[in-house]
Amino acid sequence: MTSGSAAPVTLAPTREASARAEDAPGHADPQRVLADRVEQLYGQMPLGMLAHLLLGGIATYELWDQRNRDLVLFWWGLVLLVTAARAVLYYGYRASGNKLLEADQWMRWMAISALASGVTWGFAGAVFFPSHADEQQVFLAFLLAGVASAGIPAYAASWPMFAMYAGAIVLPFTYMLGTFGNRLFTEIAVLVPIFYLINVGIAYRLNRVFLSGYRLRHAYDRLTEDHTRLNKQLEQQIEDLLEARQEVEASGRKLTLFAERAPISVIEMDANSTILEMNPAAEHMLGYSTLELIGRSALNTLFPADEATLTPQWWAEFVARREPVTRLRVRCLRRDGLEIMCEFTITPLVSEAGDLVSIIAQCQDITQQLEAERLKKEFTSTLSHELRTPLTSIIGSLQLVNSGVVGDASGEIAELASVAERNAQRLLDLINDLLDIDKIESGKFTLQPERMRLDEIVQESLVLNKSFADRFRIGLEVHGELSDVQVHVDRKRLMQVMTNLLSNAAKFSPEGSAVEVSTRRSDGMVRVEVSDRGPGIPEDFRSRIFTRFAQADSTTTRHKGGTGLGLAICKRLIEMMDGRIGFEDRPGGGTTFHFELPVMADAVST
Amino acid sequence: MPDRPLLRICYVEDDDDIQRVARLALERVGKMEVSIIGDPTVALEGILAFKPDLVLLDWMMPVMDGPTLFKRMRETDGLRDLPVVFITAKASQRELDELREMGAAGVLSKPFSPKDLPEQLRAIWRTLP
Repeated sequence: MTSGSAAPVTLAPTREASARAEDAPGHADPQRVLADRVEQLYGQMPLGMLAHLLLGGIATYELWDQRNRDLVLFWWGLVLLVTAARAVLYYGYRASGNKLLEADQWMRWMAISALASGVTWGFAGAVFFPSHADEQQVFLAFLLAGVASAGIPAYAASWPMFAMYAGAIVLPFTYMLGTFGNRLFTEIAVLVPIFYLINVGIAYRLNRVFLSGYRLRHAYDRLTEDHTRLNKQLEQQIEDLLEARQEVEASGRKLTLFAERAPISVIEMDANSTILEMNPAAEHMLGYSTLELIGRSALNTLFPADEATLTPQWWAEFVARREPVTRLRVRCLRRDGLEIMCEFTITPLVSEAGDLVSIIAQCQDITQQLEAERLKKEFTSTLSHELRTPLTSIIGSLQLVNSGVVGDASGEIAELASVAERNAQRLLDLINDLLDIDKIESGKFTLQPERMRLDEIVQESLVLNKSFADRFRIGLEVHGELSDVQVHVDRKRLMQVMTNLLSNAAKFSPEGSAVEVSTRRSDGMVRVEVSDRGPGIPEDFRSRIFTRFAQADSTTTRHKGGTGLGLAICKRLIEMMDGRIGFEDRPGGGTTFHFELPVMADAVST
Repeated sequence: MPDRPLLRICYVEDDDDIQRVARLALERVGKMEVSIIGDPTVALEGILAFKPDLVLLDWMMPVMDGPTLFKRMRETDGLRDLPVVFITAKASQRELDELREMGAAGVLSKPFSPKDLPEQLRAIWRTLP
C-alpha cells in the first residue's frame, strides 16, 4: 500500500515564523515606538492646553491691577495665541491619516509647541517678576514652579522636550532671581537650576520607563501575533493530519473489503513463510480457519512434502531476490488431505528503506480449470480420432463404389452413392474445420511460416482447385500479371485460405462464368483478390460473414455445401500471418474477396 | 528410387472396415498384393512371414500403437530397413516430425482416398533410395 497523495505533514514551525520569532522580543520596531511616544505626547495636549488657559487666566486676573496692563494684556494674548496654535496642531495630528510614517514630523511640531509653551511662561517670569518685593512674587514663584513640574507627566514621553520646556520657564526666572540683589533670592536662584536638573533627571527616568513599557508592549503584540499564527498553523496541521488519517482509514477499509470479498485467496507471510494473515477465500480454499494457520509455516503446512517447485530452497532464493513471482503453479495440501493445484502470485512488500515488510501471496485453485482443459483436450482428440475412423470406412467405401472399381453401379444406386459420398466428405470438412478453429482459439495453433514467392502459391492454388471448379463448370483465371514479391507465410495454411476463397467463388458463380484472381502491391503490402460474378453478399449477412457458422441462409448451404466455418478460419489464419481480409461488391455484379499480406524486403532473408 | 515396382504391402490396422476398404483399394486400384494384420502384437511375425516391400502402420491401435510397433521393427533383424508409412487420423505436427526423424518413409492422413492411396504410396516409394 502506498501512503496516498497526502502532503507530508510536519509539526515544526516554518522557517519564516521562526525567523520572525527570533527578533521579536527586545527588538521592537523603533518607528512604532516613536509613533507611540508621539501619541502619548499629543494625548496629554488637551489637558495641557486647558491648564495653560486656566493658569494663564488666573495669572492675568492676579496681575491685572499690580502690573503694567498693556504687558499683562500682551501676555494674555500670547497665551491665547500659543494655545490656539497648539489646538490647531492637535487637530492636525488627530486628522492625520498616517501617524506612523509621519511620527518624526509630528514629534518636531510637538517640540516647537512645547518650546512655545515654555517660552510663554518664561516670558511671564521674566517680565512680571517685579523689581521690588511684593506678594505677587510668591504667587509667580509658586505658579512657575507648578507649571514647570506639570511638564514632567505631560512630556514624559520625551525627556529632552521636557528639558526644553522647563528650561524655557526656569532660565529667565532664575536670571531675574539672581539679579534681584536680595540674598534669599540669590540663594533660590542657585537652587532653582538644581531642582531643574533633578526634574530633568526624573523626566529622563520616567522617559526610560515609558520607553521600555512601549517596547514591552510591542514585543507582547508581536508575540501574540506569532502565537496566533503558530496556533493557526498548528490547527491547519492537525486538520491535515486528521484528513490524512481518514484517507488512510478509508483506503484501509477498502483494502480490507477487497481482500475479504475477493474470490482470490490472499495470504500474508513473513520472510520465514510464517502465516500472518489470510482472507476468507484462502480459508475456503484451504479448509483451515485463519486462527489455525496464523503463526504456522506455510512451507511446512500448505504444500505436500514432495512438492518440487515451492521448496525451502526456492523460498530462500525468492526472499533474497525480493522480486514478484507470477503464475507459479504449485500443488497445495488442504486440511482434509486433498491435493489441489494452485496458481500463485507472490509479491514481497518492501519498505522505502528497503526492508522486507511481509510477503503477499495471492492464489487461485485451478484444479477444476486444469481438469476442464484436460477434458476438452480429450474431447477434441476423441472427436478427431473416433469420428474420422468410421468416416474413413464410409468415404472409402463410397469412393470405391463411385469409381467403379468394384463393379458398375447404375442409375439411382449410383446417384445415391454419390450423394452419400458428397455428404460424408462434408461431414469430414466440418470436423476438420471445427478442429482448426478450436486449435486457433485455444492458442495451440502454430504456423510454420517460410519465405516464398506469392505468384507460385497462387498458381498452385489454382491447379489444386481446378477439379472442384470444373464440377460447377467454372473457369479459374488469372487477371493481369501475378506479383512475384516474397511473403512470409505458412504454405499449407495460405493454400487453405486460397482454397476456401476459390471454392466459395466457384460455388456461387453462375455456370459457365469465370472466377478471376489478381494481385496488387501497395504500401508494403500485397493484395490478392478473388472475384466472382455471383449474386453478391446479402446486406444483413455482411456484418457477420467472418463469424463462426455464418451462412447467408440454410437453403443455399444445403444446395452448395460448406461448413460455415471456412471464412472464420480464413480471417484468423490471415491475421496470424499479420494480414487483413475483407470483401467488396464488384462493379458490374458479383463480389471480390481479398486479403493483404506484408511484403518481405527483397534482399533481406530471415 | 528402388529399381523394382512397389508390389507387396503389409497393412497393420485394427479396424475391420478400414481393412476391407484398404484391401480393395490396394488390390483393385493399385493391383498390389496385400497382407492385412489386425493384431499389432503379432505383427512382427506376420511381416517377417509376408516379406512386404513396404509396411503401412496405423497410429492408434489397442495394446500396442503404431509408433511402438515401429520402434520394435527397428530393433528386429530383417525388419530394420523396411520402409514404413504411417496412416493416422490424429497427430500433431510435432509428433509427425518426430516420426520422420525416427525414419518413417511417410505419413498419410485418415480418411484416405481409396482411389488415390496406391498412387500416394508409389509416390513415397519413388522418394526412397
